[in-house]
Amino acid sequence: MTPLFALLFDSLDERLRLRAPGRKVVNKVFPEHWAFLLGEVALFSFVVLVLTGVFLTMFYTPSVDPVTYTGENPLYRGQVLPGAFESIVRLSSDVDGGLLFRRIHRGASHLFVASIVLHMLRVILTGAFRRPREINYHLGIVLLLLSFASGFTGQSLPYDLLAGTGIRIAYTELLSTPFIGDRLAFWVFGGDFPGTDVIPRFFTFHVLALPGLIVAVMTLHLVIVARQTHTQFPSARVDGHRQVLGKPLWPSQFHVSTTLVLWLGGVLTLAAVLVPWSDEALVAPYLVGDITNQAQPEWFMFWLEGALRIFPPVEFSLLGMTVSGPFVAGALFPALIIALLVAYPTIEKRFYGLRGDWHVLQNPLEIPLRAAFASGFFGFLLLMAAAATNDILSRLTSVPIEAITWFFRIASLVLPPAVAVLLYRYSSARLRRAGLRVARVENTADRA
Amino acid sequence: MSEADPGAGAGAGRTTDAHSDLYVVGQEVPPPSDVNDTLVVGALVVAGVCAIVFPVALFLGLPLVVYGGGLAVGLLALAVAVRRYFIAAYPEINAVQPRESAAASEDLRASTPVSDVRRVARRSLLGRALVGVAGLFGLSTLSFVASLGPKPSDELARTSWRPGARLVTGEGSPLRPADVGIGGVATVWPEGAVLVEDSAVLLVRLSNRRPRPPTNLDWVVDETLVAYSKICTHAGCPVGLFREQDSVLFCPCHQSTFDAARGAIPTFGPTARALPQLPMDVDDAGFLVALGDFTEQVGPAYG
Repeated sequence: MTPLFALLFDSLDERLRLRAPGRKVVNKVFPEHWAFLLGEVALFSFVVLVLTGVFLTMFYTPSVDPVTYTGENPLYRGQVLPGAFESIVRLSSDVDGGLLFRRIHRGASHLFVASIVLHMLRVILTGAFRRPREINYHLGIVLLLLSFASGFTGQSLPYDLLAGTGIRIAYTELLSTPFIGDRLAFWVFGGDFPGTDVIPRFFTFHVLALPGLIVAVMTLHLVIVARQTHTQFPSARVDGHRQVLGKPLWPSQFHVSTTLVLWLGGVLTLAAVLVPWSDEALVAPYLVGDITNQAQPEWFMFWLEGALRIFPPVEFSLLGMTVSGPFVAGALFPALIIALLVAYPTIEKRFYGLRGDWHVLQNPLEIPLRAAFASGFFGFLLLMAAAATNDILSRLTSVPIEAITWFFRIASLVLPPAVAVLLYRYSSARLRRAGLRVARVENTADRA
Repeated sequence: MSEADPGAGAGAGRTTDAHSDLYVVGQEVPPPSDVNDTLVVGALVVAGVCAIVFPVALFLGLPLVVYGGGLAVGLLALAVAVRRYFIAAYPEINAVQPRESAAASEDLRASTPVSDVRRVARRSLLGRALVGVAGLFGLSTLSFVASLGPKPSDELARTSWRPGARLVTGEGSPLRPADVGIGGVATVWPEGAVLVEDSAVLLVRLSNRRPRPPTNLDWVVDETLVAYSKICTHAGCPVGLFREQDSVLFCPCHQSTFDAARGAIPTFGPTARALPQLPMDVDDAGFLVALGDFTEQVGPAYG
């Protein structure tokens, strides 16, 4: 510490008493495993999203009012475009560095959602959701949903063809809600589709409400992680139930995280240079009645899109309400999926009669129910996501789209349960062979 | 075991410090390595060059590949430098932290608390170079601000007034001298540039005092009709008030006061400059026209 810095720190310390709490913060242990960095990747992508997002908001116009584009992009010069789309063309073609920052923002958004999904997968597979960490598991699900909402609203803001199509489907979903659908849709859209309010409102959600919520929930999530100490994989060197072994925040984890931030920034920038993230979406502004041939949403919406595509044609009246396919496949189905995700820790706890606190991570193959749940649940979602590409699959394989859709209808009902049962049996047999049973209480001393 | 470790005596129960302190169970001091130092220096040189390439390429309008590539390579090089530097400068530590539910156990008390771990004494120049290049790189990423607005040319030095431009009202109708009565004021604009902020002009008909120098008397019509920029030379508010009995123009924002009979020189308040006078005459059709743009700086000073 240079004398000047020491002096500054001392004078601050006299007033704020930083040393003791500072030492407490620095004295955190981070167990070493690459999968433990997935959450950090999500955090750092979020930071990149905020930084680049601030730049983008300086140029973006949240409006659908027609504007004549007068910039340098030859494709659109002189054309009348929706204000939002025009501002993005201008940002990409006429502002130095605009395209780079826009691409980094897009790339970081993919990484943000992907790292959250993978982080959740790690938590579920290794059982990090068990008591006392159920709260953080549920906060994580909230963050996942917030990241979906951020991704969807962000993807809508350019108001290009694909965005307009996505917004139209979201409108349909709101409309499909029994009894209150029409009212709900008008609340969100400020009237009938498309109207002029949806883009300004999505903008407010995307740059104010959602990031604010994400910061709040993320902070809570991290405070709880620090408070509860980190889980860890079983190790012969330490009693994982009572102690945690790893790298201290200073200096070891600090340099791991700093390096990670820089690598992420570098890779995202490099990707932005090499990959035209979503530039192709600028093929045309959204005009009512226009659509592209392939209408796929962002990848993290595929599971919802797939459900809409393969759900059978249903529309009937019941107790005075209209129940439609989009409502069942686009609203009930995801609600059920989320509910299952939320409930799983409780289900596992009841199923095995688990007691006490758990800090040591497990191989999912040692917990048959979890092996069955993870494979069946995520297998099902993967099939749904694959079904969102039925048009592309049909073109690539020359199999008629009807046959492919029927394949997904049957496969999604048969394959996931079959895989789940298989894995349940395999894991149980594996445990039996080793002469083990699923433990009800964590006692690492016995195991070691 | 550290002597200073409180409550570390044999058989002592849970200690107050045990919850927050870490215990080093493994510590590996890296051997000094010239290769590693060279790597740090090399990566820092690359990062430093990139810290210059990014803003320069952005400023020169070079293709995205150049400035984007500079930013990407710079970040990656900085990552390498940080990693290699820390690996050599600090011992590799494995530490154990008791979970909240448990007290530090006996075997832990025999270890070193982590706060006693010291940095490996090595070349301090490397650390300074790392901090320096990282700072330079951080500054260079700020160069995006240059993209936020165009480079100013002469926008601030001129207004929309041109020789022969008629003075028109906010509705666009041209004015004859007789349209402004005794003691009257009107806000006028150049024809074709209505509501262009820096071109707003106050047309004032003086009543009980005749204009005198430093008013430019050649630009006074009917001996009592003068035109001044409406933009206050203090902070740019519109000078909205005219007090007829002593011919005073008054800015409502910070009470700058101008004498309309003496070239609108400031007589009170925070401003230091007169309101510029508009060169004005009457054209053949009898309408008020400008003889040209203002000859002085309109509105507040700029850097």
